[in-house]
Amino acid sequence: MSKIIVITSGKGGVGKTTTTANVGVGLAMRGNRVVLIDTDTGLRNLDLLLGLENRIMYDLIDVTSGRVPYKKALVRHKKYESLFLLPTSQIKDKSAVNPEDLVKLCNEMNSEYDYIIIDCPAGIEQGFKTAIAAAECAIVVTTPEISAVRDADKIIGELARADKNNIKLVVNRIRPQLVEKGDMLDMGDIDEILSINCIGQVPDDEAVVMATNRGEPVITMNGSPAGQAYKNIVGRICGEDIPFLKPPKEGFFAKLKKLFGLL
Amino acid sequence: MSDIVKIKGLKSGLQLSFATGASFDDVKANLLDKLQSGNNFFIRGTTVFVQKGYFTEEQNEVLRRMFHRHGMLFSTELKRPNLTSPSSEPAKKEPEPIRKMMTINRTVRGGEEIRTQASILIVGNVNPGARIIADGSIDIRGTCRGYVHAGASGDTSAVVVADRLMPVQIRIADVIARSPDEPETAEFAERASIKDGQIFIEPVKR
Ligand SMILES: Nc1ncnc2c1ncn2[C@@H]1O[C@H](COP(=O)(O)OP(=O)(O)OP(=O)(O)O)[C@@H](O)[C@H]1O
Ligand SMILES: [Mg+2]
Repeated sequence: MSKIIVITSGKGGVGKTTTTANVGVGLAMRGNRVVLIDTDTGLRNLDLLLGLENRIMYDLIDVTSGRVPYKKALVRHKKYESLFLLPTSQIKDKSAVNPEDLVKLCNEMNSEYDYIIIDCPAGIEQGFKTAIAAAECAIVVTTPEISAVRDADKIIGELARADKNNIKLVVNRIRPQLVEKGDMLDMGDIDEILSINCIGQVPDDEAVVMATNRGEPVITMNGSPAGQAYKNIVGRICGEDIPFLKPPKEGFFAKLKKLFGLL
Repeated sequence: MSDIVKIKGLKSGLQLSFATGASFDDVKANLLDKLQSGNNFFIRGTTVFVQKGYFTEEQNEVLRRMFHRHGMLFSTELKRPNLTSPSSEPAKKEPEPIRKMMTINRTVRGGEEIRTQASILIVGNVNPGARIIADGSIDIRGTCRGYVHAGASGDTSAVVVADRLMPVQIRIADVIARSPDEPETAEFAERASIKDGQIFIEPVKR
């Protein structure tokens, strides 16, 4: 039985694809059999982050339309052999894959893999409904900015309406200096609004960009703060109790005041 | 004894009527009993109506204070809801069903809108971008950062109560107040109501 996780966000560009790639590699490094499904139709980049662009033969639409069996479309990672990618189509037809297709596909894969991780397009359009249909757990990614947190709040509402109640939070691109100066929301502020279980606090780290260019996710780079944060996320997904490096800050009411001003 | 006071749910609150022959002291004792037993009709923020002239002014004052102590409003001015349809439908008086207070036991998130003809109790936060619209009163056991509109069909006696009241905008009936541009902390429970045609916010004890 696979555990099916969807990675979502309200606002675009907050780090869903980065999170999907890192969690996928991290789980595979621990010996799990993992499939990553890219559902962000038209915008292909999970393959890029994994350095697999040149190996793609078929895509998600080829599979759901019945042209090829899914095993034929899966691209095996060159280094982590238990990691597979099902690439998205580059045709910009957002309704080409519907929720039933994805549920059927995941059912088919169910016995073969430990984890199925679905990279979702931003927002609450049709693509979102398709991506979440099969998932039993959702990870919502946000950055510590008001607009991203607000959009994350909306997504959490949508997930709850779709009866997805196992929702976890990852806060990405935290800049500790800005948080300390009070120019960026801290974990207490974010928790007060979103009130869902947080499994990751990832710092802003230029190693992420370097890793992207190399086609090897940051989790494989020893000594990088973001890589360590992703290792911790993977551990928490596997049920380990890993404490956060920095506990959420005090001074809650003072922060609320500031927060309100920004809202 | 339970029949001394009869409670009828209205759009704008609760209407009380009394058994014939019951004395004021009986009524008072009975109401106090109901209030203290946590009778689920009597929820904070609700307006309780008693027909004008049924009790003396002093007696009404006693009731008013009693309800206030329990976080409710007392009124003898029951407004008939304006019927928007001008048609001369024969007023077939169906007894109005008792409207329980609507309760929501979760966080109301951005993008959600909740409308009710009754009053509403929210045990959770009302987040930025969420909208709560009630014909009756609104009681939020949590932080309110959304948009709240009480007395939406015109009841100016409706109130908004929240543990931390910091909405972007409050409306009661057709009176509007927006949040101050300068940030403000809300550390006590507060109640918003209309006084002298304006929205007035005061701290309340929970
Ligand atoms: N922790 C981080 N530190 C520095 N840069 C980051 C971090 N996380 C993500 N980025 C950068 O932010 C950009 C957007 O990331 P990503 O593509 O993962 O977001 P996304 O949510 O998938 O976007 P979209 O909504 O377009 O699919 C990328 O250029 C990525 O390298
Ligand atoms: Mg993406």
